[in-house]
This record gives sequence, C-alpha cells and structure tokens, in this order.
Amino acid sequence: MADPLHQFQVKPLTPALDFGEVTLPVVGQVHLAFTNSHLAMTIGFLLVVGFLTLVTSGAKVVPGRTQAVGETLFGMIDGLTDSIIGHDGKKYFPFVFTVFTFILGMNLLGMFLSFTATSQLAVTATFGMITFLLVVIIGIRKNGLRFLKLFWPTGAPLVMRPIVGLIEFFSFLLRPLTLTLRLFGNMMGGHIALKVFAGFVATAVIGAAGWFGVLIFPLALGMTIGLTALEFLVAFLQAFVFAVLTCIYLNDVVNLDHAH
Amino acid sequence: MTVQDTSVPYADAPAPVALEDTHATTEAAHGGEHESGGLPQFEFQHWFGQIVYLIFLFAILYWLIAKVFAPRMRRVFDERASTISTAVETARQVQAEAAGQAEAAKAEVEQARASSRATAAAAKARVTDEANARAAAEEAVVAARIAEAETAIGKTRDAAMTNVSAIASDTAAAIVERLTGKGPTAAEAAAAVKGAA
Amino acid sequence: MEAEAAKLIGAGIAMSGMIGAGIGVGNIFGQFLAGALRNPSAAGSQIGNLFVGAALAEALGILAFVMGILIWIS
Repeated sequence: MADPLHQFQVKPLTPALDFGEVTLPVVGQVHLAFTNSHLAMTIGFLLVVGFLTLVTSGAKVVPGRTQAVGETLFGMIDGLTDSIIGHDGKKYFPFVFTVFTFILGMNLLGMFLSFTATSQLAVTATFGMITFLLVVIIGIRKNGLRFLKLFWPTGAPLVMRPIVGLIEFFSFLLRPLTLTLRLFGNMMGGHIALKVFAGFVATAVIGAAGWFGVLIFPLALGMTIGLTALEFLVAFLQAFVFAVLTCIYLNDVVNLDHAH
Repeated sequence: MTVQDTSVPYADAPAPVALEDTHATTEAAHGGEHESGGLPQFEFQHWFGQIVYLIFLFAILYWLIAKVFAPRMRRVFDERASTISTAVETARQVQAEAAGQAEAAKAEVEQARASSRATAAAAKARVTDEANARAAAEEAVVAARIAEAETAIGKTRDAAMTNVSAIASDTAAAIVERLTGKGPTAAEAAAAVKGAA
Repeated sequence: MEAEAAKLIGAGIAMSGMIGAGIGVGNIFGQFLAGALRNPSAAGSQIGNLFVGAALAEALGILAFVMGILIWIS
C-alpha cells in the first residue's frame, strides 16, 4: 500500500523554475522553486478570480444560475460581517470574503487534484498569521493602548482579574495556532482517511488480500465514497468557520468599547 | 512504521537515498536531509517560497475583491434593493388607493342606508298619523251616532212611560167597570193609579 | 519493549483524544436537534452558531489527531 502521507510531499515541478537551495539573510536556508503547492495555489487563485469575474461581469438584477451561486456566497459573508461586526462590518467585508473564497477554492480544488494546498501547514499558518496580525493591527490603530482592555475582564471579581486576564492573553496568543491547526488538521485528516480507504480498495483489487478482498472491497469502496461526500462538506465548512472566526476576532477589537 | 516507498522529494533530481535502507523511518524515506519530523508538511525549506507566494496571491485577490468584485456585487444588490423597494412602494400606493376607494364606497353605502332609514321612519310616522286621525274621526262619528241613538231611545222611553199611566188607568177603569158594573170617571181612575203607583 | 512499538502505542493513545471531540460534537448536534424540535422557528437562525460550535469542539480532536500523526511519523 502506498504511503498515505506521500500526497503531502512538496515537489519542485520543473527544473526551469527550480532555483535550488538558497541561503537568505533572515530565514536561513530555503529551497526556492515552483512546486506543486505553488501550482495548486495558483489554480485555486485563478478559479476564484474566474468565478467571481463570471459572476459579476454580466450581473443582472434578476440573477442567472451562476450569479445566484455567487450571490449566495456573497450574501452569506455579507450577512456574517453585518451580524457579527455590526455596521462597521462593510469595511472588513473584502478581507473576510477574500479569506473565505481563497480557502474554499483551495479546499475544493484539493478534492479534484492529488495535492491540497490547505493541507500544507505553511499555507494555513500564513492564513492564520495574516488574520491574527490584521486583528492586532486594527485593534491598536483603532483603540491605541485601550487595546489592552481586551484582556481585562470587567465581569470577574477584582482579585481574579489578573489571573483571568493572563488566561485571556494566552488564549489570544493561541488564536492563530488554533486557526492554523483546525484548517490544517481537518484537511490533512480527511485526505489521509480517504487515501487509507482508497488504498484498501486497491489492495483488494490487485488481490494482495487474497479472498478477503471480496469482503474488503465493498466496505472500503463505500467508505471511500462516503468520506468523499463528507470531505466536500468539510471543505466548505472549514472555509466558513475560518470566516466566522475571523469576523468574531475582528469584532472583538472593532467594537472594543461598546461590546463586552 | 516501515515505509517501502522510497520516494524522493524532487521529481527531476533524485536525492541520494540509500535503497537498502528499507526499514528507515519516513524522515529518511522522504529525503533525510531535513532536520524536523517526518510529516512532509514539516519540511521547512519549502515554507518560505509557499508563504511568500501565498501572501502575494492573497494581496492580489484582496485588491481585486475590494476594488472590483465587491463594488460590482454591491451595486447589483443596491439596484435590486431599489427595484424591489420601488415596486413595493408602487404596490403600497395602489393598495392605499384601493383602500381609499373602498372607504368611500363604504361611506356611500352608509349614507344611503341612513337616508333610506330616515325615509322609512318618516313614511311610518306619516302612516301612523293618518291612521290615528282617521280612527279619531271615525270614533267621533260613531260617538255622535251613539249619542243620537241614546237620545232617541230616551225619548221613546219617556213617551212609553207617559203612555203607561194612561194604559193603567184605562185598564183599572175597565176592571172596575167589570167588577162593579159602573165605571169610575177617568179622573178617579187616574188618581187611584197615581196613588197605587 | 522496542522503542518503535512504544511509539506506535503512544500514537494510538494520543489519538484517543478524539473520543472527547466525538462526544462534544455529538452533544452539540444532539442538543441542537432537541432545541430545534422544541422551537423550529428559531432553528434556522442558529445554524451558523451550530457549525461554529461543532468546528470549535472538533478542533480539539484535530489537535489530538495531529499529535498522534506526529508521534507516529517522527
């Protein structure tokens, strides 16, 4: 059986775009190349741009089929930013929508290609850090030093406040990590499970399992089909959850004064 | 885990992996030059390129969405909202108009009903008055006739009463004449009747 | 015991953290269903909260899963 982790291997695609090992000043030794991860990201990016162009270029008041799908996505994120962040939400809509569509595009693309960009820790960590840094920057620019009020729980008794505040602070620092690992773990776990069960099917088909193959084959194939359907759901859900959490984190710092 | 798959990280440049090292860990199998764990995702030498490229794509996508797609979509939404709101406004206007007309019709009906009720009441009053007047007149006629008849009866009775004494004296005289053979004078008979009466 | 065997056992034990996530996610959906049957008109507006809650609970299981994979593979 093939190694189920092999699908996560990052490989340079062509020698023409392989710049080999380079030592950069701050980050140290890196391998610069156009890899399959870059290719997946590019296709995902082009898919999103193409889809949005298709949806918005011939936009009519009475929508067609494609436009209705795009408008559903658009309206969903719009409702999210509106209901969670409030009337300031319109300003942050493009960011949340970008995060949502890009992650959704790459997640769904992973169901069709042999490589999933969002199952790369580097990719999800970048998304997590972009969101986290945006939240911190907006928080400091909007509130200045009052940003620290985020960690000062006014609801707790005075004696407990420093302790609770410390916990709040650490949980705030853990946010990018949980954002990163949630998306990464979901995508990686789903694809490993898919690959493992697909491997069972292959094992049964080539006869490596002997007569047990007759028993294994329908079970493993049914499992693979079911997991594929589940993975489509997960692909959408994780993008949605990422967007929701981005909205919640943004709301924390945007409405620092009148929330809590 | 023993990995049979001695795949190499480079498709084009095979890494020098010892083929006899079949019981190697995944780390070794995936090209043992990496310092960290066995997951392919932890090959940190590929991170920098991915991160920079992703940030680049993210920035472009953000710019496109913020400057092109979102405003376009927003415009369609606003247009639709205005279309719907004007349609709703028109419908509301028409509805208000219809309601006004219905109100007017209702008032008219109400008025007609009130006038008919007044007419009916007036007619009823007039008929009642007439009937009353007629009844009164008839009653008066009847009363006059009754009074007339009563006076006639009285007159007749008086006449009869005056005749009664004459008849009585005549009868008395006749009776006396039969008994005694000699009739009394009329005056005597009359006096006797008067005394007996 | 061989170190390799101990590692695999450890990976298996680490995976058992997903039990909690399974209970948590099941609890969330079960409670949602119970609430939705009681007040179906309010159910639709809470779908977003449902999935966010499920994703948050699932994330902890995913941490255990990643941990297990890391132990297994390293």
